[in-house]
Order: sequence, then structure tokens, then C-alpha cells
Amino acid sequence: MITFTAVTKQFPDGTVAVDELTLDLPEGKITVFVGPSGCGKTTSLRMINRMVEPTSGQVLVQGRDVMTQDPAELRRGIGYVIQAAGLLPHRTVVDNIATVPYLLGWDKRRARSTALELLERVGLPAAYAKRYPSQLSGGQQQRVGVARALAADPPIMLMDEPFSAVDPVVRAQLQAEFLRLQQDLGKTIAFVTHDIDEAVKLGDLVAVFRQGGHLAQVDTPEQLLAAPANDFVADFVGRDRGIRRLGFRLADTLPVQPVGAPRDSEWVLDLDDLGRPRGWSRRGETASMQSGGGTFTTGDSLRTVLDLTLTSPAGVAVRVDQDGVADGTVDHAAIAAHIQGDTVRVDR
Amino acid sequence: MLQYLSTSGPAVLSALGQHVVLALLPVLIGLAIALPVGYLAHRFRWLYPPLLSLSSVLYAVPSLALFVVLPVILGTQILDPLNIVVALSVYTVALLVRTVIDGLASVPTAVTAAATAVGFRPLGLLLRVELPIAVPVILAGLRVATVSNVSLVSVGALLGVGGLGALFTDGLQRNYLAPIITGIVLSVLLALVLDTAIVGVQRVLTPWSRVGSR
Amino acid sequence: MSVVSDVAAFLVDGSNWQPGNPDGISARLLEHLQYTGIALVIAAAAAIPVGLYIGHTGRFAFVAINAGNAGRALPTLGLLSLVVILVGIGLVPVIVALVVLAIPPLLTATYAGLQSVDRATVDAARGQGMRERQVLLRTEVPIALPILMSGVRNATLQVVATATVAAYVALGGFGRFLVDGLAVREYAQVVAGAVLVATLAIVLDLLLACVQRLVVSPGVSGRALTRTTPRKVTP
Repeated sequence: MITFTAVTKQFPDGTVAVDELTLDLPEGKITVFVGPSGCGKTTSLRMINRMVEPTSGQVLVQGRDVMTQDPAELRRGIGYVIQAAGLLPHRTVVDNIATVPYLLGWDKRRARSTALELLERVGLPAAYAKRYPSQLSGGQQQRVGVARALAADPPIMLMDEPFSAVDPVVRAQLQAEFLRLQQDLGKTIAFVTHDIDEAVKLGDLVAVFRQGGHLAQVDTPEQLLAAPANDFVADFVGRDRGIRRLGFRLADTLPVQPVGAPRDSEWVLDLDDLGRPRGWSRRGETASMQSGGGTFTTGDSLRTVLDLTLTSPAGVAVRVDQDGVADGTVDHAAIAAHIQGDTVRVDR
Repeated sequence: MLQYLSTSGPAVLSALGQHVVLALLPVLIGLAIALPVGYLAHRFRWLYPPLLSLSSVLYAVPSLALFVVLPVILGTQILDPLNIVVALSVYTVALLVRTVIDGLASVPTAVTAAATAVGFRPLGLLLRVELPIAVPVILAGLRVATVSNVSLVSVGALLGVGGLGALFTDGLQRNYLAPIITGIVLSVLLALVLDTAIVGVQRVLTPWSRVGSR
Repeated sequence: MSVVSDVAAFLVDGSNWQPGNPDGISARLLEHLQYTGIALVIAAAAAIPVGLYIGHTGRFAFVAINAGNAGRALPTLGLLSLVVILVGIGLVPVIVALVVLAIPPLLTATYAGLQSVDRATVDAARGQGMRERQVLLRTEVPIALPILMSGVRNATLQVVATATVAAYVALGGFGRFLVDGLAVREYAQVVAGAVLVATLAIVLDLLLACVQRLVVSPGVSGRALTRTTPRKVTP
């Protein structure tokens, strides 16, 4: 869908921002460019929609060289989201979202109704349509920015640190909603971030850049954590790689004990009339399910289950089915045994 | 042209001298008044709207009209240079009050908050923190006021007191280009010299702006 | 004070307001507006496109700033006298002098207005697929409008006030009351002239303020922020 072939960008003062980049961005997937400042990730992104022109090499979008296309037409077919949202302050929210449809000459009513649909899609109330960007919070502006990029239904989206300017709680929400949106839409997305955790969380493919515009490693997030290509990548990825890798393993094959089975612990699992777990109790002392450790389903990761066993007073995580009814328990030893048996040994 | 300069040299110089005084005095007076007034409007925000309206109205009065009206109000003779000085001071104040307020407003609140927390009292805060930071904005307004004053002084020639303006009225009466060109050139040079002087003062007062940023 | 009552009498005198009276207030008003209007239109046609180009591309910024300052330094009266000697008495010298006066504030305001636009917004606009002309007209200008309008108001104020010099070269406008009144020492007439000019300046400024209110988007002027937002919001 998007291909870089030996692309180099050198600025007039001599700095090489991108050095012989060769990379393929798969269709319908999120590819994350990640790396420290000055590594060329944003410059590479901006070469896709020709905001920056390569000094040598070729950038192909949908099979065509970007340099052979009219820049404005090219950009109208690519969604572009930047860090500060960059909304037009003099236009209402709905007109902001409809920016590209207007540029493409859509009928005004059609453009407006599409914009309103997208407003809802990104989780904002319809009342916000007539507001101005200055009346919105940072997180809300960012949602409008995403809606704007989606308005003309482009197959490709470029996102340059879109969630960096908001606080962590809002960021987590935006990331979750973004993934949900992508599941519905299946766009080809190039996403830039300096945060390795965000890259691992969002990317189907992660491209790690190092200073000077070199590509250090391109892999799935799990492989990146399992087998960093060199010291730089290992360093950049950070500590606790093993535990973080567990985040990619699902609990669906994890064997569990039946709920009523006898245990060493004095703690007893409290269930309500429908069989849903309420908490733990021990000789008059109670711990509710939340503080006592929560529950997991087969769709959760092993990392979540392990964490639950550590926070539960009984040292046991409780599995529930889709109705919330408890259908099994597991302790740390069982998890360790399960991982031991399954893990592919990597010699590094 | 040269003939004119050789014969009327002393007259030209005295006109220039008068012009310099008539242009500079209002600037100094205007600044001296505008600084405290502007500070008060900045400190007590309710003063801002009325002061702004008043200065807009004052600025709207045409210079020639003010030169004529002031003698009536002040009780001076029409030909008294004091009228020009007062009138131009009024304009300078009207222009600079707005500039001083904008300059003080340009100081980041984080800076004033930090300075107050460190222990500056209001007067010290104004003199040692706010004013130095507001200097670029204030001096930009001062440059405009000064250059405008240099041009406005010559209008006073219509009443008989106008520094270099006398060269213009003289030239027009005699249908003679030389004094007019001399007057224009000197006027522009004077404005340029004063403008450069203010820029120089700004560089001296703001050493942090001279150092290049990374 | 007798002067005040004389001024009031002059202004209130009906014969002074008759449109047919060539020396009356109505006739002078029209002349004054004529000089102001022509000068502003010419100055705007010259200064604004140049300011737009310099502000959008960032090139020749040095020229914009210094041409503005230099223009301010030219003494209006001197320029007027110069052109009168060159082409004779008439409308031309007055218009030339007023145009030179009006160009600096218009040029500076246009340039400053465009420079004040956040670069990220311009980048986003270009990234959406706007061509350069669209970026300038649909993005930069609407955001720069408040500063641009203040430049227009400033220029108007200066031109209205200075158009009084037309009377000095035997033309009309409100300056006539100043000059004629001075000649016969009828100070009431002079003060009346001053009051008329000041009033005209204020009226025009108010009109332009209304135009500004209509033309500038609430999202830019900050008017939108006075509306309240509901409590329960998605962040």
C-alpha cells in the first residue's frame, strides 16, 4: 500500500534526517514509527503525503510515486492528524470535519451530514457541531481532528503523535477508542510516536528508528519484545520485556480449577445468587472483588491474569464467562507451569 | 539646491534644532505619563475600558485642530510652541498607554507568579521583572510614536511654529523646491536617527535577546 | 465660555447644513469623505496584496518592516508641498500624501496578522490538501482578520485626521473650517472644524468596529468562549 524504496532526506544544511529507508507498510494495518527525537520518524511520515520531498529514493502510495502526483490531490486522499489537532479556529466543528469534502466539491448537505455522523463516531455529542475549536478541550479537539481525517473516507491515514498532548487518562481512552474505530474501518495507518508503550499497544507492525534516520528494527510488537535486534532497540524498548510479552498471550488455553475445589488458603470466594463473584471472605473479614483482584475472561492476556493473582488476597484469579458467572480459578503456580510448557525458547 | 543651502544654512539649522526639541520633548513627557497610567490600568483591570476609550478619542482629534483648540483651553497664544508640545504629548500618551498595557500583559503570568513567590514586592516586581520583560513591546510603540511626532511637528508650520515645517511653507509660498526637499530629507534623517537610537537603547536594555537561542 | 456657545451656534445653524451650500458642513463632509475614501482604497490596493504575499511566504519580511517605518517618517506636509510644486494644486498632491500616510499601517498590520497565525494550523491546512492560495485565503486571512482590521481602523483614523491638510492647498473638506477660521480669527469656526473631524473619525471607527464584529469569526475573536459548556462532557 505504501512503500519506501531507499528513501533519503538531506536538508540544505547537511543534516541527514532519513537514511536509505526501505520499508513496506501493509494494507489495512497500523504501522508505528517509533524512536527518540531526531530519528527521522516524523520526516518519513511527512514524505508519504509529500509535505516533505525525498532527496533520493522513491515513495510509492498505492503503487504510484508521490512525486508524480499533484500534491493537493494526493493529500485530499490521505487523512492527516497532527499533535496539536491544527483545527481551523474560525470554522465550527462540523465545518472543520467537512474540510476535505468541501475541497473535493461535495454537495454541502452531504458533506455536513457525513461530518455529523463522524462526530458521533468519535464519541462527541451532536450539540458540539456548532461549537468552535476554542470551546473544546484538548482531548475533544483531537477527536475532531481524527473525524476530520476520516471525512472523505481515505484509505490511508497519517498520524503524527496525535495523543501526546493530552494527559494519561485521556490518552488511554483515546487509544482504546482508536483501536475500536480501526477494527470497524480497517484503514492503512502510519502512526508516529516517541512512546514505545504506545507503539506496542497500537501497532500491528512497529518500525524502530534510531538517530540519523536509520531503521533499527521492523517487527510485530511481540517479536520486538521477544527478540530486540541490537542493544539500542533493547534499551529503547525498556525493561520488563518478559512480563510485557505476556500481554500478547491470551488466557484462552490456560487450564483452570473448578470454583468449588478445595484450596490451601483460608479465603473463601463469595458468590451471589447467580453465581457471580462478589468478593473474598475470611473469618468475618471481607475483601470486595475490585480490591480483592477483579476477574478475567478467556479474552484477557496472561499478564492480566498474573497481575490478578498478585492482587488477590487468596493468591487466586477468578475466571468468569460472558454472563459474569464464575467458572474457574487459577493460582500463580499454575500460570508458571503453563508458560513453562508453552514458551518458545529464544537464545538471546 | 546648493545655493539654497549656502544662503539659508543657519535658518535651516535653527529649524532643525527647534524640530528636534518639539519632537523629543513630547516623547519624554508622554512616556513619563504613560508608564504609571498604563501600569495602573494593568493592575486595576476595571480602569482599562474607560482609559482605552479616552485614548482612542484623543487620538482621533486631528493634530491641526488640537494645535488650535489648546490655546483656547490653556490660555496661551496661538504661536506659543507650548501648544505643540502639549498636543503632541497628548497623542504620545494616547498611543503609549495602550502599548504599555500590552507590554505588561506580554509578561508570562508564570514569571510574575514565580517572582512574587521568591519574595519581590509590587514595586520591585514592576521595576526589576515586569518592565524589563515588557521593554520590547513598549519600545516598539515608542518608535512609532517618535517617528509620527517628527512628522506631526511640521504640521505646526501652518500656524507658524513648526521646526522644519517652516521650510515647507516657505517653499510652497515661493514655489521653490529646494527648501521642501531639504526639509523632507532632514525630517526623514531625524526620524531614522531617533528610531535607530531607540533600537540601540533596546539592545542595551535587553541583553538576553542578543544571545542566540539554540 | 463664549467660544463654546459660538461653536455650538455654528454647528447648530441650519444654513450651515444645507446640501446646496458649498461652504456648508454637508458639502465639506462629502469632500472630506471623498479624499479619505480615495486615499484608503488606493493605499489598500497597494499595501494589502504586498502584505499578503510577504506574510504568507515569509520572504522580504525585512522590506515589509522597514518600508513601513520609512513611510511613517515622511512628513505629510512636506510631501504635500513637494507634489504641489511638481504637478500644481489639485486633488493629486492631497491623495499622494494621504496614500503614503495610509500604506505603513496597512502593510504592517497585514504582515503582522499573517505572521500571528499558528504554524501548526497552516501545516494542517496544507496537509488536508489545500492549495497555497486556498491556505492563504481560507485559513490564514480569516485568522489574521482581527489584526488586519485594526490596521484598517488605524489607517482610517490617521487619514481622516490628516485630510484636513487639503484645505491648505485650496481644496475642501473639514480642514476648510480650520484654515478659514484661522484666517479671519473666528476661533469658533476653527474649533467647530476640529469637533467635526474628531466626530467623523469616531463615527467611522465605530462603523468599522461593527464591520469587524460581522466579519471576524466568533471562533477567532473569542466571543465563542463566553458561552458555557455543559457539565457532563467526554474528555
